[in-house]
Amino acid sequence: MGRGWRPLVIGGAVVVGTFALAQAQVFEPSAPAAQASGDVSRGETVFEANCASCHGEGGVGGVGPALFETGLDAAEVATAVQQGRGIMPAGIVSGQDQADAVAYVVSISSPAE
Amino acid sequence: MLIGGVSETYTDIVTSVFSSTIAAKAWFATAAVILAVVQVTTAARIYGKLRFLPERGRAIATTHRWSGRVAILCTLPVFFHCVTILGFQTPDARVALHSLVGTFLYGVFVAKVLIVRDHSLPAWALPTAGLTLASLLVVLWLSSSLWYFTNVRFGF
Repeated sequence: MGRGWRPLVIGGAVVVGTFALAQAQVFEPSAPAAQASGDVSRGETVFEANCASCHGEGGVGGVGPALFETGLDAAEVATAVQQGRGIMPAGIVSGQDQADAVAYVVSISSPAE
Repeated sequence: MLIGGVSETYTDIVTSVFSSTIAAKAWFATAAVILAVVQVTTAARIYGKLRFLPERGRAIATTHRWSGRVAILCTLPVFFHCVTILGFQTPDARVALHSLVGTFLYGVFVAKVLIVRDHSLPAWALPTAGLTLASLLVVLWLSSSLWYFTNVRFGF
């Protein structure tokens, strides 16, 4: 094999290595604890800015599934936000925004009495 | 093979500047694509094209080298998040295309760097590798950052 193949062979090895690393997912956001510290009213603003384009205003559904009165708890919502689910990307909101958005989603997902 | 959780350290660092990790990725990728355009433009000048640009010379070569170095640096945080946390995913065509193209990015980058240093290769090898690398970055940007800016939010 001539020397000219070297870039292709080494580049190919890097592609294989990248794929293996991606398959291994060596780091994973640890599942967040239930976040009760969020601010619901601020969370509504965060939700409308970041989530409503798919989940609909008020979480009534759209491209993404409805969240309204679905009985989700904070840990489930926080895990979905942090790790992504289906076509929803991971980490779409983080930090305090995440806590506030989770609090809001939990508030709207609680089934009506 | 999970070797660690990164939610607290990584997310805290990123969200000290950006609103979320995905916003950070979108902007780092945008910077990389802009620098890739600089790369292609300066490379074209080095090859005697785009004569409206200043004469080829040290400034063009230096700009070409440093835009490439900074572009690759900009991709590293994105690589860390996409490859080591999210992994290869195929829930829909956009994400599948993004995963597939992203897998090839660093392989093509390494090949391009090796081609730069190997003067025995045919003349078309380097521009082909460079254009392939820039094209991959553009496809990655279109399938992630542009999607984020148009479907989620345009902001930091």
